[in-house]
Amino acid sequence: MTIILTSLIFAALLGAILALIIGVAAKAFAVESDPRIETVTDMLPGANCGGCGYAGCADFAKAIVEGAASPSDCPVAPAGDSARIAEYLGITSEQKEKMVAVVRCSGSISVTVRSPYNGINDCRSAVLVAGGAKGCDYGCLGLASCARACPFDAIEIRDGLAVVHPELCVGCGKCVDICPKNLIVLVPASVDVHVYCNSPEKGSVKRKVCKTACIACRKCIKAADNAEQMTVKGFLIETNYDNPPLSDLVEKTGCPTTALRLASKHAAGEYDGVSK
Amino acid sequence: MSNKPRKFKGGVHPNDSKALSASSPVQDAPLLEKYTVILHQNIGAPPELLVKKGDAVKKGALLAKASGFVSVPLHAPTSGTVTAIDKCPGPTGISVPSVEITADGEDEWGSPFEPMADWQNAEPADLKQRVWDAGVVGMGGAGFPSHVKLSPPPEKPIDTLILNGAECEPYLTADHRLMLEQAEEVVLGAAILARILGLKTAVIGVENNKLDAIEALKKVAANHNVTVQGLSVNYPQGAEKQLIYALTGREVPIGGLPMAVGCVVQNVASAVAVADAVVMGRPSIERITTVTGEPLVNPGNWRFRIGTPISKALELAGGVKVQPAKLLLGGPMMGFAQSSLDVTVMKNTSGILLIPAEQVSQYTSEPCIRCGKCVTCCPMDILPATISQAVENERFDLAAQLNVLACIECGSCSYVCPSHRPLNQHFKRAKAEIMAARRKQQNK
Amino acid sequence: MADNILTITIGAILVNNFVLAKFLGICPFLGVSKKIKTALGMSGAVVFVMTLSSLVTSLIYKYVLSKTFTVAGTEINLTFLKILVFIVVIASLVQLVEIILQKFSPPLYQALGIFLPLITTNCAVLGAAELSVQAGYGVLESTIFGFCSALGFALALILFSSLREKLDLAQVPAPLKGTAIGLITAGILAMVFMGFSGLV
Repeated sequence: MTIILTSLIFAALLGAILALIIGVAAKAFAVESDPRIETVTDMLPGANCGGCGYAGCADFAKAIVEGAASPSDCPVAPAGDSARIAEYLGITSEQKEKMVAVVRCSGSISVTVRSPYNGINDCRSAVLVAGGAKGCDYGCLGLASCARACPFDAIEIRDGLAVVHPELCVGCGKCVDICPKNLIVLVPASVDVHVYCNSPEKGSVKRKVCKTACIACRKCIKAADNAEQMTVKGFLIETNYDNPPLSDLVEKTGCPTTALRLASKHAAGEYDGVSK
Repeated sequence: MSNKPRKFKGGVHPNDSKALSASSPVQDAPLLEKYTVILHQNIGAPPELLVKKGDAVKKGALLAKASGFVSVPLHAPTSGTVTAIDKCPGPTGISVPSVEITADGEDEWGSPFEPMADWQNAEPADLKQRVWDAGVVGMGGAGFPSHVKLSPPPEKPIDTLILNGAECEPYLTADHRLMLEQAEEVVLGAAILARILGLKTAVIGVENNKLDAIEALKKVAANHNVTVQGLSVNYPQGAEKQLIYALTGREVPIGGLPMAVGCVVQNVASAVAVADAVVMGRPSIERITTVTGEPLVNPGNWRFRIGTPISKALELAGGVKVQPAKLLLGGPMMGFAQSSLDVTVMKNTSGILLIPAEQVSQYTSEPCIRCGKCVTCCPMDILPATISQAVENERFDLAAQLNVLACIECGSCSYVCPSHRPLNQHFKRAKAEIMAARRKQQNK
Repeated sequence: MADNILTITIGAILVNNFVLAKFLGICPFLGVSKKIKTALGMSGAVVFVMTLSSLVTSLIYKYVLSKTFTVAGTEINLTFLKILVFIVVIASLVQLVEIILQKFSPPLYQALGIFLPLITTNCAVLGAAELSVQAGYGVLESTIFGFCSALGFALALILFSSLREKLDLAQVPAPLKGTAIGLITAGILAMVFMGFSGLV
């Protein structure tokens, strides 16, 4: 009995002394930290994709709490989540329009002229060898640098051409930075009509090396409801993303090279192997 | 200067293959109907175009003027009319601006300057200006403006002028034939360059597989206070830093230039271009190029004018007797693979090389077996094996730490790798990424 | 005495290395060895904790637990409280290290993460204290033993993290990537350290 009592008292005493030391230390070396940062971090999607421009979700949460960033800067979070974060912190935030990536090239292996390439299977490395050994200086090399960079597996390489699946893309922009030919752009998700060509060369020069190049024949401009909906940039036509055409434009135009496509149908492979 | 050449650390000994064209004397290519002259033929800024479509030009007339200090003018290869200002395929695969000249058949000279009769007493500054006006660039392959090399800042005094006659790349024999057939001009060029730098002597380094060239040079070298030094046959003996070490024992610091150790290096062909500019009053519009390779019917050396299409060059060499797998501009170690025959000869096109299918390296992404052959052969003393692993993992920070920027892209490591890893391409990628990141940092 | 100290030192660092010969403290050995920087930070923390805990526990053992004293007529010996007391002391020391580290080096604190409080459950620290008792070391010898064991732990950790940084870049076959190749390497490292056996 005595032993039990003695041990209990001894243990309690030891515990008390050590607790006192730790308590003093905790007060003396206290670190200020905002508990809201952790809560906001949990409310974010947690993909750590960097689409917001910060190092990761925790870093972004810190920026939101400090007021340097807005919850809607996160391209991945659905509108409801961003609104909840804004509500929790008692701030206002306007929802940004959802953006998706588009690879502006339709030059797959079957429709382009290429030289055999043997080297590192990576676009940024291949571009250092004869510009990528593709007939068109501006086209997609299809060696999957963008597909590997995408944290959401939204890019597929089909027949040597990178194709974005818009339903999987969240608009984080990682692919835009990686492409050595600057082929990828972020566009509003609501626009479905795009010109899948990025070469400023003359139409006749382009056609020699690619069957689906845009030859700037202007049929799409004539077929559009409003001529402003498609813009001309030298020997290349582009969708005007500030005043975009409706999705029926592709059908109405009948583009002679199938450079004008609907993103959804392009992703589904409906234009593969079609060339005139 | 030491009499016995030092051996630099590392290097490889690929098969010479120079016998294909070494004994072929230089032939002048016949006048063509059209020349498509590429505008940007030098390291640095491209020149500013002066002519426009429809202009008549004489041979040697100014087509474009230098746009800055690190830029050189461009001159017409023949007399005729400017028929187009367009684009043509460039040596790195991307289309580049070019000037198309249709010859009038007269080939009449119209050089913008006169010969300098009394160059031995001319002002070094005037001689240097002539080198610039003639558009002389490094003709060993680099294309660096020669007048810039001849303008070291005052805090970097020069005491040694070296002429690079090593021609260490296999297959290439252009410089060999030049030294053999035009030894007098080579030595003359050396003397002029020495005067520009304020030196009394110069040394010409030649690899010991060109004994006849060494003999030919030695015969005339003494007249102009120039010495000729034989070098051990070791690739890349002709690389600047290795050449300087072999001849002087000095080591150029990493990231530094030859002027840091008091040296200036010029290719023998550049020296001849300087001699032509000063003594003959002629701008740089042609060069000797070796057209060679087993698939060719008649490999040899030709004097081409700038703007000559590769297709024409191959025609002159008799065409192919067996389908080649690769076309390179330059040598097999550092040359650029081409995807178009419409590329034209430039001031720095030292060779046009065709390679048969069985000799082409098939690169694989096999893992590094840590054999260390690449480390042993690297002439710059860096670690190709570790750097390539870093690049494969996109760790360009690590690659920079391992001094990938010191790499001279000689290709020795790719040549010896038993796993056929594309090491040279890894380093080109690393350098491109590091320089891009630094530019981004600066622009922030 | 000096002889003994030398034996303890070489024994603890090389011959009877806590991680590679005794297989104690494998948790942080595998968990914190991905980067050399974090390995160095962890080593520092462990050296501090082990040395101090060896000192304090040996003091408590020598002057309180091992002594027999009389309380209300009964003879009491509290040796059986050894494990409990050691753990409480070690836990408090680790808590102190955590607080200090969070204040003075937040990045290292973040990098070590969960492995910092796990030093408490690290059998190496308790092992050092327990083995000192078993070997019958005095206070000075216990402290030296704790310090040198920690050095041995640090040596193994730093060697292993350097190897892992290199392995990270290599093309390891998919089934072996990550921890698997790490364990195989650790095993080979342990075999290497067997070469020291018989030294003391």
